Amino acid sequence: MPLNRTTSGDRWRVRPDGPDKVTGRLPYLTDLSLPGMLHGRVLRSPYPHARIVSIRTEKAKAIPGVCAVLTSADVPGLNRFGIARPDQPVFCEDRVRFIGDAVAAVAAETEALAAYALTQIEVDYEPLPVVDDPESALSPDSVKLFEHGNVLHRSDYGCGDVEAGFAACRHIVEETYSTPRQMHTYMETEGGLFVPEPNGRLTVYAPTQHGFMDRMQLARILNRPEADIRVVSSPIGGSFGGKDELNVQPYGALLALACGRPVKLHNSRWESVRAGLKRHPMKITMKTGTDEHGRLLAHQVRIVSDAGPYSTLSAEVLNFAVEHVIGPYRFGAVKVESVSVFTNNGMSGEFRGFGGNQAIFALEGQMDRLAEKLGIDPWTFRLMNMRQPGDPGPLGQPIAQTDGARQVWEALADCRLWKEKAAAGNRSETRPPWIKTGYGAALVMHGAGLGVGIPDPAGGRLTLAGDGKIEAAFGYEEFGQGLIASLEQMLIEQFGFDAQDLRIVIGDTDAVPDSGSSTASRATSMMWQALKRLHPPFATALRKQASRALGVGMEKLVLGRGGIRDAESGSLLISYGELAKTASEPIVAETKFAYPTSPVDRVGAHYLYTYASVAVKVEVNTLTGRVKLLDQFHAVAAGPVVNPQGYLGQIEGGSGMALGFALTEDAVMDKGMYLTRNLDTYLIPTIAELSGGFEVLPIEELPEGDKHGPRGVGEIGSVGLAPAIAAAVHDAVGKRVNKLPIDPALLLEKPVFLNKAVEWR
Amino acid sequence: MIDPKLASAAETFTLQCVINKRPVSVDVPPAKRLLCILREDLHLTGTKRSCDIGRCGACMVLVDGKPVNSCLTMAYQCQGKNITTIEGLAADGALNRVQKCFLEEGGYQCGYCTPGMIVTVTALLNKNPEPSMAEIEEALSGNLCRCTGYGGIIRSVLKAAEQGGRRHAGRHESA
Repeated sequence: MPLNRTTSGDRWRVRPDGPDKVTGRLPYLTDLSLPGMLHGRVLRSPYPHARIVSIRTEKAKAIPGVCAVLTSADVPGLNRFGIARPDQPVFCEDRVRFIGDAVAAVAAETEALAAYALTQIEVDYEPLPVVDDPESALSPDSVKLFEHGNVLHRSDYGCGDVEAGFAACRHIVEETYSTPRQMHTYMETEGGLFVPEPNGRLTVYAPTQHGFMDRMQLARILNRPEADIRVVSSPIGGSFGGKDELNVQPYGALLALACGRPVKLHNSRWESVRAGLKRHPMKITMKTGTDEHGRLLAHQVRIVSDAGPYSTLSAEVLNFAVEHVIGPYRFGAVKVESVSVFTNNGMSGEFRGFGGNQAIFALEGQMDRLAEKLGIDPWTFRLMNMRQPGDPGPLGQPIAQTDGARQVWEALADCRLWKEKAAAGNRSETRPPWIKTGYGAALVMHGAGLGVGIPDPAGGRLTLAGDGKIEAAFGYEEFGQGLIASLEQMLIEQFGFDAQDLRIVIGDTDAVPDSGSSTASRATSMMWQALKRLHPPFATALRKQASRALGVGMEKLVLGRGGIRDAESGSLLISYGELAKTASEPIVAETKFAYPTSPVDRVGAHYLYTYASVAVKVEVNTLTGRVKLLDQFHAVAAGPVVNPQGYLGQIEGGSGMALGFALTEDAVMDKGMYLTRNLDTYLIPTIAELSGGFEVLPIEELPEGDKHGPRGVGEIGSVGLAPAIAAAVHDAVGKRVNKLPIDPALLLEKPVFLNKAVEWR
Repeated sequence: MIDPKLASAAETFTLQCVINKRPVSVDVPPAKRLLCILREDLHLTGTKRSCDIGRCGACMVLVDGKPVNSCLTMAYQCQGKNITTIEGLAADGALNRVQKCFLEEGGYQCGYCTPGMIVTVTALLNKNPEPSMAEIEEALSGNLCRCTGYGGIIRSVLKAAEQGGRRHAGRHESA
């Protein structure tokens, strides 16, 4: 049954954060201000690569109303940040490596004054040659960004003998796929308020996807105990991975502590573009072959990923790509080589899909090309080579078994759009001859969680608070995905509470346990698993307390709306408020565990997977070369739907981002400089591009005895659309796309009537 | 030693206008952007800052009933005008029809584009109670949303139009 409001019935709920969002009442962290606060600004490098000869701040410091001008000399702790490997300077000491690199920061009484002060900081640079191409950065004679060279990370994988495999192949396809530097384009740019507290602590109000990670990194930079820092990190006006790493936090924190006053920062869009993360541009070369029957014998892959100047999670993204270029298919032999390369381009980093988007665009392109060579229907070809129940994961690792791949495959074969495709073959065209329609499909197997070898903690806490509220505290973040709504819905459906009984506490390191990051499609899964663990002890504790208070046997008591109820009649016996009054101390249940991982030592290998199939119908205008997306079908096998509105929103929203990835989005750089500064030239989809048909079919069935519950859906919607569009474009005009976003010039055709006009003259 | 440009910008005039049905009088530089006046001087932070160049619509407000990007509107242009922000679309704590439909249909996720989106849709439906899909696309083409893929937004707008359309048709018949 397609997922929508009607089919969801009562499970379609108004989000608890909705009323404040539709009225504008919700204070985002960049909306906060305090009396007496200062405005912070960061001075960034005008060069993509240069030596810093000298920095003079005297003139800026002398301006009345300028309270602090900071450089690397003013960082009390580690002058570096980076979640996995801290190699990005807070302030560059002697060298800048991209045009987002920070050199100094100021705090002043007004924003205009802060901006002016930046112009009065004197920095002498000596420009260095710019390394802007990852391939040439690998050559031995390239300028090196670091002493150790330009290689950030290599990740290889091999299984079987690919040479022998290719020797036995009847059909071989070789292709190089390129993907763009996609920008997250969260509508709320980075920013926040940084407040030195009277007791000496520092409160950071700034969006992030893992408050405790920011706290750890800030403690390292500020050289102060983590306990002296409070990070308040939700609500967030969009993130998509882009606010996972530190951005303005080091500057806000240092300036606030230097001035002893609250400091606000809020990036302009251009500053967000130049300093912020992007999706890694990747070049993926694939050679894939089959025998005469279409059985995949060999698959050889080389990935070159442009990391930009510092690490953040580039190594982890590359590992993810290596896993996902193999994906849901059985190959006789596989050989993957990959490298993530330092360049003087913009920072690349974590972004929804995490390397899967690039990998699967390439992999699915190979499947379509091979099927064409074989003369086999491309969807059938995928089924012929699909991993079977019991098979290991892409890296040969044990995975939690589901039948997801087959389920989404069948759902697509059976969907309205695919039947329409079959019927369309026989229909005569009624449109103008330059409008061509086509259908395409893609299959996606996408890992969730951080994977083997990376700390991936989870947990949460339930409390009957003194005021009678059931308080659910989780260290997760609300960046729009509907995390609060999902948590509320699970508490209602699993425990029987009423929404009014609940108080949900997230995004505040002072108030929540560390539940790990809100990344990698993991938060909903982990909340579900945490509640499963918390249910028995918490329900028992509440019933025990009620039994004591009421003098009624525990077996006669159940949790319900508003309070403890009679198990038989359902009548309310004692409200949670009254129950709280009878308890001498709050009733608490807490759990800590870790995201399940595969028992292998391959770093990053995943254990839980979500599967999706995507079918699209597109229209190609060969006069303009433009592609229009007309209709979409998504089948997603991710276990039970926790929150129908959130689930639908994740697939629709992810797909919307993928449309930009496929057709319009690329933060183009030239010699290390961004050629786009704002949303007038960086084109994300508007409503006009996304007003076509859309159907989501969730497949909720999991194998009997599955203990893992709902799988993540936060990323998978953003993965399969691009390869499906590429296939549909080929169906429409017979041209293969190997580079995203699709260049309209590739699809332009000289119209037949122009020929006639020329002939006539 | 203040930059002369800054010094001249510091000259203020008294902006007198009506914002959310209340008369407002505020001393600001004449070229100060309405977006900043709302957010900084009046603490009406429901109007959001995102692109600053009139491309994204997060800062949309109504000026004399017409949707405008407040980041492109200067103080002097607002003199004597009637301005409505997201906070003023409905009376104290209530929701207008568009807000209700966004809430019920899930026409938002992170919510950052939502105030501007709702302001634009409200203006559209006031002017054109039964818009075609093409008219909806045109009216909302200046409001970007990165979270929803516009699915929930389209459902919200269609529902609000449907509800308003019925009422409008009713009024038409009785007249």
